[in-house]
Amino acid sequence: MDAPHETALELLARKLNLHHRLSPEDRQAILDLPHKIRRLEAQSYILREGDRPERCAVLLQGYSFRHKVTGDGSRQILAINVPGEALDFQNLFLEEADHNIQMLVRGVVAEIPREAIEQLVLEHSEVGRAILITTLVEASIFREWVVNIGQRGSRSRIAHLLCEFAYRLTAQQLAADGIFELPMTQEQLADATGLTAVHVNRVLQALQREGLIERDRRMIRFPSWERLSEVADFNPRYLHSLDLETLPHIYQSSDA
Amino acid sequence: MTESLILGPLFRRWSRRLALSNDDKTAVAGLGWSRKQFQRDAYLAREGEPTSVCTLLLDGLAYRQKILSDGSRQIISFHIAGEFLDLQNCLLEVADHNVQALTRCNIAVVPKELLLEVMNDRPNVRRAIWLDALIDASVFREWVVNVGRRDAKQRIAHLLCELALRLKAAGLGDGPMFDFPLTQEHIADATGLTAVHTNRTLQALRKAGLISLNSSKLSILDWDALAEAGDFSERYLHHSV
Repeated sequence: MDAPHETALELLARKLNLHHRLSPEDRQAILDLPHKIRRLEAQSYILREGDRPERCAVLLQGYSFRHKVTGDGSRQILAINVPGEALDFQNLFLEEADHNIQMLVRGVVAEIPREAIEQLVLEHSEVGRAILITTLVEASIFREWVVNIGQRGSRSRIAHLLCEFAYRLTAQQLAADGIFELPMTQEQLADATGLTAVHVNRVLQALQREGLIERDRRMIRFPSWERLSEVADFNPRYLHSLDLETLPHIYQSSDA
Repeated sequence: MTESLILGPLFRRWSRRLALSNDDKTAVAGLGWSRKQFQRDAYLAREGEPTSVCTLLLDGLAYRQKILSDGSRQIISFHIAGEFLDLQNCLLEVADHNVQALTRCNIAVVPKELLLEVMNDRPNVRRAIWLDALIDASVFREWVVNVGRRDAKQRIAHLLCELALRLKAAGLGDGPMFDFPLTQEHIADATGLTAVHTNRTLQALRKAGLISLNSSKLSILDWDALAEAGDFSERYLHHSV
């Protein structure tokens, strides 16, 4: 096996360990999972509603999103996934996908056969527990999105989405110096927050004027994390990270 | 009453999806459940508190909610007899939302470590609990769609369809009439609408002859029309109904 393959699932092990501590043996069992590397173009589908998935994709590079389309054709984005996240643990036990998963940008996934994960869960009960907990954390994020769209004003909604995205990337050790790549178009931000693209544009401009965000093409920075998270009504508890206490350090220099 | 009888609603629900053996049932029933009663509006779990038990609803209705810093409340899901109320909270270390009784509720609680042990020993139980967690997540996704991309009439019709189907599947009403203790405030908080808007929308559904709703009784007069009005398709419930 060549070198990239040996370490391909490192990010997945890191993600699971964020929510449930893994022993070295359990970690190795994850790295040893059989998998196939696939490169995907932006917008390509990983899973379609109604599919019966036989493999579980783990995102290694790039970003993907979950979405559903309503009867009248409008789209609701349900989640953004970042590298290291397994995209269809959801379908480990469910027969039929109830939503679509699509790449936001060009990226790479590792596809693991469903039976290999089922076997791993049987032989390593703590890995099984980590997968269940990680799935529950994802459910917690869906709950927070119901709250975000159901109750928050447009400004808070968008600020909340930005805070969550930055926090998750940081927790996965994928953001350097507090600068983030924002892979979403304004239309996609609108579909994730239940707003129109015009409205999103206006809110982003206002946040920029107030010095809460700084944008340079696709890169985004948050000059005052504290003020932004206050506008967002953001409390990271729902992300259930075991590394909670270590995270704020990256933001301190800019808040000082 | 023996534990098995108390857990009847849970076992009936699980048995709709998988073949639970008598040994599985005996193992779950023998976990040392304790029973409690909560009055209407009482909190069964509070956001931010550490969790050590799993709570099963035996009768009554309950709901999950979060309260924002400005005091507004979003209801995230409703729960009926035979469902776990805090599977989500109990496997995570800290509750990230509140669970509240909608009517008087009888519950049974079990220490979470015992439930986790029986999951390790019994593949059917593990699968059942996994399915519960995954279907809960699927319902949350559908609620994101509901508040994000549907208008008031669709949102409320969708909610009524979901609750009616789940109540019917649990044997808590075989339609067209259901006990329906939700107030307009509950419906408003579950759909992200104002109370006034909710009231107006319910009136419109009544006038259109789709439902009748009074003194805690909901009748669905035209299921197909209500499902169409709610953009409702039951796939996201994954045959749990």
